[in-house]
Amino acid sequence: MSGAIVIGAGHNGLVAGLSLARAGRAVTIVEKRGVVGGLCAATEIHPGYRVPGLLHDTTGVRRPVVAALGLSRYGLQFEDEAPSVLAAHSQHKGVVLHANAARSRDELEALHKGDGDGYAAWRAFLSRVRGFVARVLNERPPQMKPSSLAELWKLGVTGLALRRLGNADMLELLRVAPMCAADWLHEYFNDPLPSAALAAPAVTGAFLGPWAAGSAASVLLYECVRGAEVKGGPAALIESLREAFEAAGGTIRLEAEVARILVARGAVSGVQLADGSTLEAPLVLATCDPKRALLELLEPGALPLRVEEQIGVVRMRGTTAKVNLALDGQLAFRGREGERHARAVVADDVDDIERAFDAVKYRGCSKKPHLDVSVPSVRDASLAPSGKDVVSILAHFVPHDLEGGWSDAAREGFGDAVVEVLESVAPGTKGLIRAREVLGPADIEARYGLSGGHIHHGEHALDQLLFMRPTPALARYATPIAGLYLGGSGSHPSGGVTCQPGALAAQAILEG
Amino acid sequence: MATTYDAIIVGGGHNGLTCAAYLAKAGRKVLLLERRDILGGATVSEEITPGFTFSSCSYVVSLLRPQIIRDLELSKHGLEILPLDWTFSPFEDGTSLLRGPDGEMNRRNIARFSPRDAERYPLFGQAMSELGRLVKPIVEAPALDPSKLNLSTLIELLRLRKHFRGLGEDAIAANLKMMTMSAYDFLSEWFESDRLIGPMSVSGIIGTFLGVRSPGTAYVLLHHYMGEIDGAFRAWGLQKGGTGQVALAIARSARALGVEIKTGCPVARILMSGDEARGVVLENGDEYRAKVVVSGADPHRTFLGMVGEDRLDGDFARQIKRFKMRGSSGKVNLALDSLPEFPGLAVDSPALKGDITIAPSVDFLERAYDDAKYGRFSRQPFMDCVIPSLTDPSVAPPGKHVMSIFVQYAPYKLKEGPADWENQREAFGDAVIDTLARFSPGIKDRILHRHVLTPWDLEQTYGLTEGNIFHGELSLEQLAFMRPVARWARYKTPVRNLWLCGSGAHPGGGIMAAPGQLCASTMLKARAV
Repeated sequence: MSGAIVIGAGHNGLVAGLSLARAGRAVTIVEKRGVVGGLCAATEIHPGYRVPGLLHDTTGVRRPVVAALGLSRYGLQFEDEAPSVLAAHSQHKGVVLHANAARSRDELEALHKGDGDGYAAWRAFLSRVRGFVARVLNERPPQMKPSSLAELWKLGVTGLALRRLGNADMLELLRVAPMCAADWLHEYFNDPLPSAALAAPAVTGAFLGPWAAGSAASVLLYECVRGAEVKGGPAALIESLREAFEAAGGTIRLEAEVARILVARGAVSGVQLADGSTLEAPLVLATCDPKRALLELLEPGALPLRVEEQIGVVRMRGTTAKVNLALDGQLAFRGREGERHARAVVADDVDDIERAFDAVKYRGCSKKPHLDVSVPSVRDASLAPSGKDVVSILAHFVPHDLEGGWSDAAREGFGDAVVEVLESVAPGTKGLIRAREVLGPADIEARYGLSGGHIHHGEHALDQLLFMRPTPALARYATPIAGLYLGGSGSHPSGGVTCQPGALAAQAILEG
Repeated sequence: MATTYDAIIVGGGHNGLTCAAYLAKAGRKVLLLERRDILGGATVSEEITPGFTFSSCSYVVSLLRPQIIRDLELSKHGLEILPLDWTFSPFEDGTSLLRGPDGEMNRRNIARFSPRDAERYPLFGQAMSELGRLVKPIVEAPALDPSKLNLSTLIELLRLRKHFRGLGEDAIAANLKMMTMSAYDFLSEWFESDRLIGPMSVSGIIGTFLGVRSPGTAYVLLHHYMGEIDGAFRAWGLQKGGTGQVALAIARSARALGVEIKTGCPVARILMSGDEARGVVLENGDEYRAKVVVSGADPHRTFLGMVGEDRLDGDFARQIKRFKMRGSSGKVNLALDSLPEFPGLAVDSPALKGDITIAPSVDFLERAYDDAKYGRFSRQPFMDCVIPSLTDPSVAPPGKHVMSIFVQYAPYKLKEGPADWENQREAFGDAVIDTLARFSPGIKDRILHRHVLTPWDLEQTYGLTEGNIFHGELSLEQLAFMRPVARWARYKTPVRNLWLCGSGAHPGGGIMAAPGQLCASTMLKARAV
C-alpha cells in the first residue's frame, strides 16, 4: 500500500483524501491550522455565537460527488429546496427571489410590471442549459489539443451535448457567456433591483464589476450549480467528510504546516513540515492555492521556468472582506418585520455594485460596499443564543494592496462602512451589535494561507476557468513533477464550496 | 423608373463603395446612393473652416486589407498612405515616453522607466504579430456558423484547422487569453511600468464602451495590431489629403468599374413587396428598383429604420434591438495658428508627426471610464492626437496646422439624455482642451477654430446610431458568427434580397473594408445577384 499526503484539510482536501483512502491509499492530511475545515471551519466570534469561517454558501456542493462518497451515511443532509434570497433595498422592502420563479411573480410584478415574467423567462433559460453546464463542471476539463482518440471522443461528446441544446439555446449560451452581467440581466428586468441581486454572485472572487465583460459567465456558473443548502451549513459538510475520512482509515494532522514539498529526481518524495520533520510519500496532492503550492512550497527551479512564469501571472487579487456580527436580537430587514431571511444581497442597482468595485482599482476600500449577507442562525438556532442572530457577511470591495497598507483603523473603518450599509436595509441593526469581527484580504491571507487573500484561489475570469485553470499546463491536476497534483479551488471547476476540484483531482490520480 | 439595377447600395462609406466596386467588377449593374452631398460616410475629409481640411471622423488608416488595395487598384486611384510611426506619450510630471521606428531608441527610452520592460518590448511586438497572423484568416473570411453543420462549414473548418495545426498549447492559450482578457491584465503579464502599460493599453479601448481593465479589451488591442500597410504589421498611416481621400479613391475605382454613384440621395426606406426587398424609396419619394439591396448603414438604422420593425420577424427584431451600439467617443478637430509644443519634445522633432497619446497612467484612463459609466463625459479624457498637416501640408494654409483629437469617453447616453449633448458640447470641448493644455502649455492661444463632434453629432450628421464608430460594439458576444445576430452573420439578412455590408457585419469596424468585400464575394458566390 502506497502512502499519500494531502496538503490542506479544507473541503477539497477532505474529499480528495477520502477518495484516495477508499481506493486503498494510506492518506495523511496535513493542515496548517488547529482545526479541520479550511475556509469552511466554523469560528466562535463571541461567547455563544458561532459563524461559518469564510464561505457560507453551500448551494454549490456537487450532489454527484457527495453521493458517490456516501456521505449521507455520515450524517450529511440537504434542505428540501434551493433557498430564496432577499434582494434588500435601502428605500423599500425589496423583493424575495425564489428559485421557483412562480413564487416571486407577484412581488416582482408589483415592483415593475413585466419583471415577474422576465424572471420566469430567465429561470427557464437557466433550467434548459443547466444540464450542459453541469456536465462541463462535473468532468475534468478537456485537453486543449486532444492527444488521444479517447480525448477527442470526449470533446466530441461534449460538443454534441452543446448541439443538443438546440440552435436557439446553444447560440444564446455562446452569446451570454462572454457578456457583462449587467447587460444580460437588463434584457430581462425593468426595475434595477432584481438585476443587482442576480448579478451579485459575479463579483465574489473576481476583480471586476457587473459592467465587465465575462461577469455573466460567473452568474451562469453559479446559478447552474445552485441547489439546496447543506443542513447545518459548511460545518456540517466538514464534519461528515471528517468522519468518513477517518472511518476509511485516513489520518489528519493538525498544526502541521508544510514548509517544503520535497522533490527527488523529478518526482515528489514527500513534504517537510515547519517543525523540521519530514513525511515521505510518492504522492502529494496540494489543495492550497497554486501559487503557494508551486512557487512557495517547491524549491525554486524544481519546475520548468515557463511553468513558473505562467503560475506567476495567475491573477489572485483578493477583493472580499469577511464581516461577522453577533446581534443581541434578530436581524429584521426594512418592511419585513416578522419575516426570517437566511440570505440577502444588498445593492439598490447594478451601478451600486460597480461603484463599490471602482474603489479597488485605485487601491481604496468601497465607501458603500456591496454585501452578501447570510444569517445562519435562521436555519440553525444553535449557532446563537435563543432569540438572537449571528450574521456572516461577505463584503465587496476591498483591495489586498490597500494604499498606505492595512491597519486596525483601516479594517475597522471598513467594518463601519459595512454596518452603515446593513443599517440602511435593516434599520436598527447597529444598536444590536454585541461583537464584530472584520477580516480584510490581508487577514484572510494570514489566517487561511490564501495568496493575495483570494477566497477562490485565483480570480474567476474567462481566461482563468476550465482548461485555463490555473494554467493550461496544469489544468489536468497533474504537475510536471511526477506524483505532485493540485486539487484545490485553483483548479477546475474553481472556487466556492463545490467539492468538485478535490474529487476530480483524486480521479485524475486514480485513473491516470 | 425605367432602369432596374442588379444591386442598389445604400450608403457611400468605404464599405458600401467597396462592395459596389466588387459587384461591378463582376459585371453587375450597380447604383450607389449616398445621403450626404459628400462621399465617404465616416471616412470623410471636410473643409470645416476655410483652408483647413479636417478628417472629421476616422483619422488614421491601417486596417485596409491589402488584397482590396490590389483588386481595386486603389494606388492608381489616389490611395497614398504616409507612414505614421512615432508615438509620443507625455506624463503629468513633465517627463514623456517616445517610441518610434528605431528599436535602440525605444529600448533606451523605455529603460528609463523599466530596464526589464525595455528588454521585453520587442518580444511583445513579435508575439503580437504572430497572434495577428493567427487571427488573420478569421478576419479574411466570412464567419463560421456553428448552428449550421453542413459540408461547406466542414470544409471551412478543415481549412482553419490546417492553419492552426502545428501550433503549440502556449500559442492556443495566448490566443484564448487575448480573446478574453483585459488589455491591462494582458499587458501586465509582459510589462511592469505603468508608464508603458498606460499608453500601450489605449489601443484596447478605442471605440469601445470599456475600460482598460475590462475583459475583452485585449482583443481590441490585437484588432489594432493587425493593421498592415503594404504587408508591414503594426503600421499606421495618414492618407494624403485626408482620410476622405481613401473613400474617394475607392469611389474612383468603383466609377471606373461602372458603378453609378448618386450623392444627396437620402434613402427613406427599403421598398418591400411582401417580405422581399425590391428597391429603395428616397426621402423625396423617388423610387429605385433592383434585384438586391445592400445596406452599408448600421444594423439598427438598416432594420429598425429603413425596413421597419413591423416588417421583421419578432425574434430577429428583438435581437437587433439588443445589439449594443453605445457610442463612447467624440472628436475635436482644431485649426492651429502654429505647432503645439510639448515639454521634452524639440519643436522640429519628427515625433510630432506621429501619434500623441494622452494616457499618462492606467488610473487616469480608468477614472475617465468611470465618468462615462455613470453617464458623464470624462472630466479628464483620454486623447489620441495627430497633426496631419505635418505629414501632408496640403491640408492647411502655409505655416498653419490641423490637429485631430480622438476623445474618450463621451457616452451617447448622458445622464440627462443624448439630446442634452446640444447643451454640453462646448463644455466637453473645454474639458478636452483644458486637459490637453496640461500637457501642451500654450495650446489654447494657438487655436484658430475648434470643431467638436459628440456621439450625438456622429449620429445626427454621419448617421451612426448612438454615435458608435464601429456600427456596434466590438465586444466578444458581438463578433464573428454573432455579428450582428447569430445565424445572420454572413451578410445575408432574413429580409429576402437585403444584404448588409457595413461595419455592423463581420469582421467589424475601422477602415478595413473587409465587410464590404466579403459581402460582395458572398453574394456573388451565392448567385444572389
